[in-house]
Amino acid sequence: MLRYITKIREISERLLKEGKVDMVIGFRKGTMPMMNEPCFINKPEGVDSLVWDSNCGINLANYLTDRKEKIAVIAKGCDSRNIVTHIIENKVKRDQLFIVGVPCKGMIDRHKIASMFEEEIIEVAEEGNIVIVKSAAFEKRLEKSEVLQENCAVCIHRNPVIYDELVAEPVKEQTETDRYKDVRRIEEMQVEEKNNFFDNLLSPCIRCYACRNACPLCYCPTCFVDESRPQWLGKSIDPIDIKTFHLLRAFHCAGRCTDCGACQRACPMGINVRIFTKKLEKDCFELYGWESGLSLEERPPLDTYKPDDPDLGI
Amino acid sequence: MPDWEPKIVAFLCNWCSYGAADLAGINRLQYPTNIKVIRIPCTGRMSPKFILAAFGKGADGVWVSGCHPGDCHYMEGNYYARRKFTLFKNLIEHLGIEPGRLHFSWISSAEGTRFAEIANEVTKTVKDLGPSRHLIKKINAKVA
Amino acid sequence: MFVRVRLGLKINNDLKNMKISKDKKIGSVMVIGGGVAGMQASLDLADSGYFVYLVERSSSIGGMMSQLDKTFPTNDCAMCIISPKLVEVGRHINIELLTLSEVNEISGNEGNFEVSVTQHPRYVDTDKCIACGLCAEKCPKKVFNEYDGGLSKRKAIYVKYPQAVPLKYTIDPKNCIYFKKGKCRICEKFCPNGAINFDDQKKELTLKVGAVILALGSKVFDPSVHDTYGYKKSPNIVTSLEFERILSASGPYGGHLVRPSDKKEPEKIAWLQCIGSRDEHIGAKGYCSAVCCTYAIKEAMLAKEHSKGELDTAIFYIDIRTHGKDFERYLNRAKDESGIRFIKSKVTGLPPVNGTGRHLIRYVDEAGKRVEEEFDMVVLSVGLGITRECADLAQKLGIELDRYNFAATSSFEPVRSSRPGIYVCGAFQAPKDIPSSVIDASAAAGVVGSKLAESRWTLTSTKHIPEEIDIRGEPPRIGVFVCRCGTNIAGTVDVPSLVESAQNLPCVVYAEENMFSCSQDTQDKITRVIKEQRLNRVVVAACTPKTHEPLFQETLINAGINKYLFEMANIRNLCSWVHKDNPEQATEKAKDLIRMAVAKVALFEPLTEPVMQIDQKALVIGGGVAGMVTAMNLTEQNYITYLLEKTDTLGGQARHLHETWQGEDIQQYLSGLIKAVQSNKNIEIFLNSEIEQVNGFVGNFKTTIQHNGESKVLEHGVTIIASGASALKPNHYLYGEDPRVVTSLEFQQRLIDNDPSLGELNTAVFVQCVGSRIPERPYCSKVCCTQSIKSALKLKEIKPKMNVFVLYRDMRSYGLREDLYRKARSSGINFIRYDFGKEFTVAAKQGNLQVAFNDCVLRRQMEIRPDLLILASAIVPEKKNPLAQFYKVPQNDDGFFVEAHVKLRPVDFATDGVFVCGLAHAPKTIDESITQAQAAAARAVTLLSAISISVSGTVAYVNPNFCSSCGVCVSVCPYSAPNFNDKSGKAEIQPTLCKGCGLCVASCRSGAIHLKGFDNDQIFAQIFAMNEAVF
Repeated sequence: MLRYITKIREISERLLKEGKVDMVIGFRKGTMPMMNEPCFINKPEGVDSLVWDSNCGINLANYLTDRKEKIAVIAKGCDSRNIVTHIIENKVKRDQLFIVGVPCKGMIDRHKIASMFEEEIIEVAEEGNIVIVKSAAFEKRLEKSEVLQENCAVCIHRNPVIYDELVAEPVKEQTETDRYKDVRRIEEMQVEEKNNFFDNLLSPCIRCYACRNACPLCYCPTCFVDESRPQWLGKSIDPIDIKTFHLLRAFHCAGRCTDCGACQRACPMGINVRIFTKKLEKDCFELYGWESGLSLEERPPLDTYKPDDPDLGI
Repeated sequence: MPDWEPKIVAFLCNWCSYGAADLAGINRLQYPTNIKVIRIPCTGRMSPKFILAAFGKGADGVWVSGCHPGDCHYMEGNYYARRKFTLFKNLIEHLGIEPGRLHFSWISSAEGTRFAEIANEVTKTVKDLGPSRHLIKKINAKVA
Repeated sequence: MFVRVRLGLKINNDLKNMKISKDKKIGSVMVIGGGVAGMQASLDLADSGYFVYLVERSSSIGGMMSQLDKTFPTNDCAMCIISPKLVEVGRHINIELLTLSEVNEISGNEGNFEVSVTQHPRYVDTDKCIACGLCAEKCPKKVFNEYDGGLSKRKAIYVKYPQAVPLKYTIDPKNCIYFKKGKCRICEKFCPNGAINFDDQKKELTLKVGAVILALGSKVFDPSVHDTYGYKKSPNIVTSLEFERILSASGPYGGHLVRPSDKKEPEKIAWLQCIGSRDEHIGAKGYCSAVCCTYAIKEAMLAKEHSKGELDTAIFYIDIRTHGKDFERYLNRAKDESGIRFIKSKVTGLPPVNGTGRHLIRYVDEAGKRVEEEFDMVVLSVGLGITRECADLAQKLGIELDRYNFAATSSFEPVRSSRPGIYVCGAFQAPKDIPSSVIDASAAAGVVGSKLAESRWTLTSTKHIPEEIDIRGEPPRIGVFVCRCGTNIAGTVDVPSLVESAQNLPCVVYAEENMFSCSQDTQDKITRVIKEQRLNRVVVAACTPKTHEPLFQETLINAGINKYLFEMANIRNLCSWVHKDNPEQATEKAKDLIRMAVAKVALFEPLTEPVMQIDQKALVIGGGVAGMVTAMNLTEQNYITYLLEKTDTLGGQARHLHETWQGEDIQQYLSGLIKAVQSNKNIEIFLNSEIEQVNGFVGNFKTTIQHNGESKVLEHGVTIIASGASALKPNHYLYGEDPRVVTSLEFQQRLIDNDPSLGELNTAVFVQCVGSRIPERPYCSKVCCTQSIKSALKLKEIKPKMNVFVLYRDMRSYGLREDLYRKARSSGINFIRYDFGKEFTVAAKQGNLQVAFNDCVLRRQMEIRPDLLILASAIVPEKKNPLAQFYKVPQNDDGFFVEAHVKLRPVDFATDGVFVCGLAHAPKTIDESITQAQAAAARAVTLLSAISISVSGTVAYVNPNFCSSCGVCVSVCPYSAPNFNDKSGKAEIQPTLCKGCGLCVASCRSGAIHLKGFDNDQIFAQIFAMNEAVF
């Protein structure tokens, strides 16, 4: 980790000094454990606050939207894929960016760790593949692989797909992962089971839109939930309105979502909202051979077609 | 509920499937009255919002029909629509809408018979499923 | 609703009746023949300022295309693509449709003809007939339906097909019981509108026109005349046109593929090619009909799709001639994906297999084995020919015909007949497919336009539009008019209760019922009610908007209301007609449909139709024959034209061509054309020029060119791409290594130069398909077969004793070129089919050139030692042509430009204001390039002549505050209507390019795009209103 941090600081300092960029977007230590925060550094002397560890799950592409200055951005695999999508969708220009690629070894799931302990966690540290969780009373050592974010556990694009400089040699990509196990589990359910599953899943939702706000894809000036001509979708926490919201939000991410996990990470109620986008990700892959954010040449699958696409029509 | 009749809303593209519906009429082909048609210029116009709103407001079935792939009056609209439909249908069925509530078909303006056949088929399928229970706002759910 | 309307110069209607001065040319044109070619010619002329009389012998237009199920090579539904065109012709203010009419005589000269026309009685008053069909339902007389190839029955009072234009019934007096026996008149009794008129008389008309276009079309060969196959004896032997009807969903068997004898599904079907074509026997025709190979492939493909089981299809052919654009790919698909069997064998008889309805086919297979196979059905791929009636008419009009009765034309003036002022197009000129006919038709319109330009807009009329009342800001006051349609609606649905329920709907201030909403008196009444009740929205609950919306919209216009404040509830086709047995529920459904229409119309706002000025200049890119012909035609039509050429010379590929297949001297023609272009003051030529940048769109392009080291901006309203293609330089067969190996073009150059060394040759070999029809280039280069035949004949002429070989895969001397092929064979030229799948080598050994190949007939390796080897090399376009980016037009995988629609818009691009012609579009011969060039000019003139164009008001627009600039709209729009604003970076939609499909609207995640007339709130309102239904 230390090597990563040194390199990130070194590159950032150089870029700022040489005036190549106006700003570096990276992570700094958060005030709460396991909650690193995005930070915006615009002076060479500020680079010392930049950090890197397994708590950098926030997708920094989200902070590039509609920016006009020259920016260096620290990007792990999923961030880089969202940057690609951002470039395709005119949210930022390639030549504005200096992408500092970080080969990623996965982020840890703060909800999961928090739920493992009754007491308040005051510090979380890392030693190689071991995560050390400390409270006032105890210190516990966990295997990182046991506490990875679910999306990181099945990630097959840990290395940035687009970058100007890498902070380290690429890591080995995971090849043995079963990416769609959870989707298949639902697909195999009967209709009633599916309904119960999703009703239960969404019952804690308070419709705070944290998932939407954390998502780099949700950059519309006005979200469909706020459409007023007519207001076809209720704004209440009626379960159907909530389900409709999640359904359509996911649909808007179809073929664009990189499974970065930002939505799930952001949810204060710990809802696995990825389960919606995951289904679409699976379908886009299986039906159209598409994985989002890998190519600057192609637009997402709903912006294009092939004459011999699979057909559900009668 | 022996007297129950499903409500089905059909979105038909102006150029092909609406023409087929017209032709079914010209040929006096009979099908049930459950289907109410909304004419749209092209299936490419079809937004998933309309499907969600139709279900939300109490439709028991939704049927979208356009020109055969390759026949679109606007050249490509139905190709794009096909991708949207496919992903959307898979998604809402993943969430527990019964397969058989949402239908897509391709019917050319010369296929009046096919239109009537599919109208019958869609109505029967939806009727067999019974009243819609999911994605429907509560007020209606109680009625059903 | 989505039809583009063009505004002409405002011309006083009285002009039409004005006495026309002697020397002034007459600004009207007669088009004879209402098939697809006649329709296209009429539309192009009417859109570019001429009044058109479209004369059609039968009761409605549409011709043979309307009978087809699907069209090759896209398998598009024929009816779907032709019916908008039918409607456009039927409704065009400057086209007068004369159905059931025949031309007797034409007197006068070009610019000033007098045509005498006989219009036969229809016995149905077209003003009164509402096509409800009751007459036909009640008519007791059934007759064979010629539209279905006699496979079904129709009545003595009938319409040809449900989408017919005009959609008016006709009594067929030959079969009507009243006309034959003096009694019956049942139709008259049942007609709810008193439209039947047994006293109708034929009318003799004399019409003055400046030019005449003959689009007489062709008829399929009748195999029963010399019935060698037993077509008449067996119901399971059908012609290809009958098979089209069998496949058609609206055909005799409702689209179920069954054989006529027992209505059982066939398991094996055979197609026999060249029935009545490529056959010198009595009754048949010597030429190739050019369309049958590809339509047989189509029919076989569709038959397989229709069939529930594993249908076995076999096509028996002489040569497979898939020479058109993308046809070769179609053939490959048929072989590789559909599994259609292709058997090269001429079948001589179809003996019936006793009692089974099947027929036996004996043939020799590829391996030389004799095979016998039984088929459940046999389709005779019948060719096209000119009917006696058409030939007689042509002769009466003084038009020269060729030996097959096709109109005789020269390669350099392909649509000009032998009589000045009379032009020809479509299958009357030669057997041809739909796109070629459409191109011909536009070309004929273009040439007519160049002759009558001075009289443009003199006889056309423009609609008088009363001033519109501004209703913006007023609360909706909706009127609902419910049509009884005689008993068509009222017989099933309780109309008074609909009126009552409508009266209670929000914003409805008036509701009434009408016997026939579409009748003239009701129209007048609706106009009056709108004014009296101050209605500002109108719903008509009647039949289908597809046929009747424009009519009611006109009623609104007449009442001073914006025509977009209108919605129809289709309670006939979608309700009363389809729920006859369920009147109560049908009534409830009709109420729902009206409620939905009212909910929608309440949200309508008046729409304006965007108008755009058209810069009156054209840019033609490419100085080859196609580009020069386009430029010439445009200037003859009085439009200034810029002609851009990349190289330092005009002439393009034609500079290397010797003679046309008809033997005309190309170099002589070309030098004349170049001189004409160079001396034309209205053509500004830019040689050595390339395009740097293009801004703007239809009407106002700004093209920056690099010319002689300087940048220059050209402003123009339309763009024609004629950028051509080149000949492949092969990299094998010792080409470039041995001087005895040349390409066809190089050989042509020797002919042009009268190279004396040609007379010293002893053996010459032509190799076909060098670089064409291969996986890398899966298209046919179309011109090479005929060119090689022609060259081979030339060699034989130079030295009759010379051994000349043509090594080929399929000889594609399509159409009338077949005569040349026959001549070549009889003059001793050896045509050898080589096996493409086996080795083909060219080597130089001991100073000898050795060509080694596998002969398909002898099935063994052969070798020839020629003194000259001529490679018929492929036509290759420029892949990734920058013009594609500049003008936002697509190229296909081969690099040819992709037209807006393969069948009906073969010279247009989907992007408005840009047109294509010549080799840039596809491989083609010089006459075809000239035709397409003239067609491109005609299509361009439909815009230029309009001066300004207005388009439908139902277009999309962007609310920039909601736009996220994601670019999905720009990416998906097939018409390049959305673009990013340079300053704001937000998307905006050019309304004149938008076709109103709504694809961008549905694709826009941020809800920034709205579609006028089909906006979200309006569709939601319909959805919500439906839900209020009581079940």
